[in-house]
Amino acid sequence: MIKRFALLLLLPAILAASGFAQQTTTSAQPPVAPAQQPAPPKTHLKVGQPAPDFTLTDTEGKQVSLRDFKGKQNVVLAFYVLAFTGG
Amino acid sequence: MDSSPANRRFAEDIGVKFPLLSDWRRKAVKDYGVYNEVSGYGTRATFVVDKEGIIKHIEEGRTAIDPTGAYQACNLFDKKKAN
Repeated sequence: MIKRFALLLLLPAILAASGFAQQTTTSAQPPVAPAQQPAPPKTHLKVGQPAPDFTLTDTEGKQVSLRDFKGKQNVVLAFYVLAFTGG
Repeated sequence: MDSSPANRRFAEDIGVKFPLLSDWRRKAVKDYGVYNEVSGYGTRATFVVDKEGIIKHIEEGRTAIDPTGAYQACNLFDKKKAN
């Protein structure tokens, strides 16, 4: 079944992760309790809506767009944040 | 947000065969509403999109770490095709 789906993995991770680590280690303020941290974003998108198109670069330097798959394949789009951590 | 070379190394390390895309400019995470302005990074999320470009399933946050929901959504495509 996997072959019937194009799985696209987006990796918005490592730079943000290193920035976050720096922020947490250099801050002089006391750590914020988990309950006071901002809630993770809830997407404005809904099931049944068109998926926003994008054009991003893959590991070979090739441009890949969601529209490339239109009419051809279903797509599983995974935003895999903090990919280089154990989380 | 990761560079393509970093993603290539990651792909080699874990042996994936599907495209790993770099959202270096953080546009896709913003367009998909999974970008946290405060922390500066996105949240884990999975969107299942059909051939016509319509969103059929969404998983966000901790539930997106477990691929079961997306996997089941993919099975729904198969059942519809079989009917």
